[in-house]
Amino acid sequence: MFPKNAWYVACTPDEIDAGPLGRKICGESIAFYRGDEKRVAALEDFCPHRGAPLSLGRVCEGKLVCGYHGLSMGCDGKTVSMPGQRVRGFPAIRTFPVEERYGFVWVWPGDAALADKALIPHQEWFDNDAWAFGGGLFHIACDYRLMIDNLMDLTHETYVHSNSIGQKEIDEVPCKTQVDGNQVVTSRFMENIEAPPFWKMALRGNGLADDVAVDRWQICRFTPPASVMIEVGVAHAGHGGYNASAEHKVYSVVVDFMTPETDTSIHYFWGMARKFKPEDQALTDSIREGQGKIFSEDLQMLELQQRNLLDHPERALLMLNIDAGGVQSRKILDRMMAAEHALVATSGDAA
Amino acid sequence: MSDSFEVKIASSGQIVVVPWDKSVTQALSEAGVDILTSCGQGVCGTCLTRVLEGVPEHWDSYLTPEEQAANDQFMPCCSRSSSALLVLDL
Repeated sequence: MFPKNAWYVACTPDEIDAGPLGRKICGESIAFYRGDEKRVAALEDFCPHRGAPLSLGRVCEGKLVCGYHGLSMGCDGKTVSMPGQRVRGFPAIRTFPVEERYGFVWVWPGDAALADKALIPHQEWFDNDAWAFGGGLFHIACDYRLMIDNLMDLTHETYVHSNSIGQKEIDEVPCKTQVDGNQVVTSRFMENIEAPPFWKMALRGNGLADDVAVDRWQICRFTPPASVMIEVGVAHAGHGGYNASAEHKVYSVVVDFMTPETDTSIHYFWGMARKFKPEDQALTDSIREGQGKIFSEDLQMLELQQRNLLDHPERALLMLNIDAGGVQSRKILDRMMAAEHALVATSGDAA
Repeated sequence: MSDSFEVKIASSGQIVVVPWDKSVTQALSEAGVDILTSCGQGVCGTCLTRVLEGVPEHWDSYLTPEEQAANDQFMPCCSRSSSALLVLDL
């Protein structure tokens, strides 16, 4: 249950540096590799000869050579050659629109005719001296929408991440959810509180005192199909909070792309782009390590939640005030999927 | 598929009718003459057979256009005949 006519993060560029990568995106098994002139290419991961996964092969002079019997596949999905064979009549395989941009490889798993590269969402922090980015990838056996719910309702931090970013004030300060076109924004502003351990570390990393009261903010922005960007930070209390000048605060954007693998599993690309001490690689590394630990705390919860839902499909769930962000995000996804199905039905009629 | 036609086995003189809804290899097989095939769609070249007389109608993608134009061989798994009789080197 995901839109297919959309750009999704498929992998990071380093994952295809050494050779092809086989990865299922939105139910499509795809081989990603660097083809002609090292440009990223994406093909159906299915050799037209015997159905072997092409991703188990190797790249040779821009062609993807099947690791089973040596069929050489071009980036256009047409067989170029095969030892001892005439390949003129070999059926072509599907290609997927793909683009390397903003430090990720993006793929369009739906109708290729509709893929517009201008729709790939701009990432301000990429290749920008004012910002530093560190991140990672988890495979999680849950519906991507459970991760959207998770990120659009940060009250879970108090319980799942109690030793790092959780604190009781998240529960005590109500959040506000707004829908702006295809974007959902859920925000929470906490004033005059103690910074939790992760943010104390960040304050020290920016040369700021960690033993004074802070104002803390969380602004979660869902953009379909599967991205949540969360502006997060703390400022020494009384300097304007979110709007405090740079010397009083630590400010980051939590970057989340939860790309569906199947209906009940995701490739979760997480990271943090920060706008303080961007040149400090050691700080990038320690934030990345800390974030990795914190985010891994969600894995078990989400996977067992998914299993519960599969075991009890008839059970209705509660949508509370804290769930407004996730509920609104799902409405946008439902609209997109309905439009897609209408499109398919229409073209089906025409045929 | 095109109309029916006949094929003749050069070595035995046997003549087999190929009806409109059967391939040459199917019709020959039912008459007890088996030709080894693999892909069954004119791609792989396994069933390549020499043509001694007649004009084949090429439906394969294995032979080059030049080889097809020479009309001295064809792929009996998918190709047919534009003459009433094909004499095959079998």
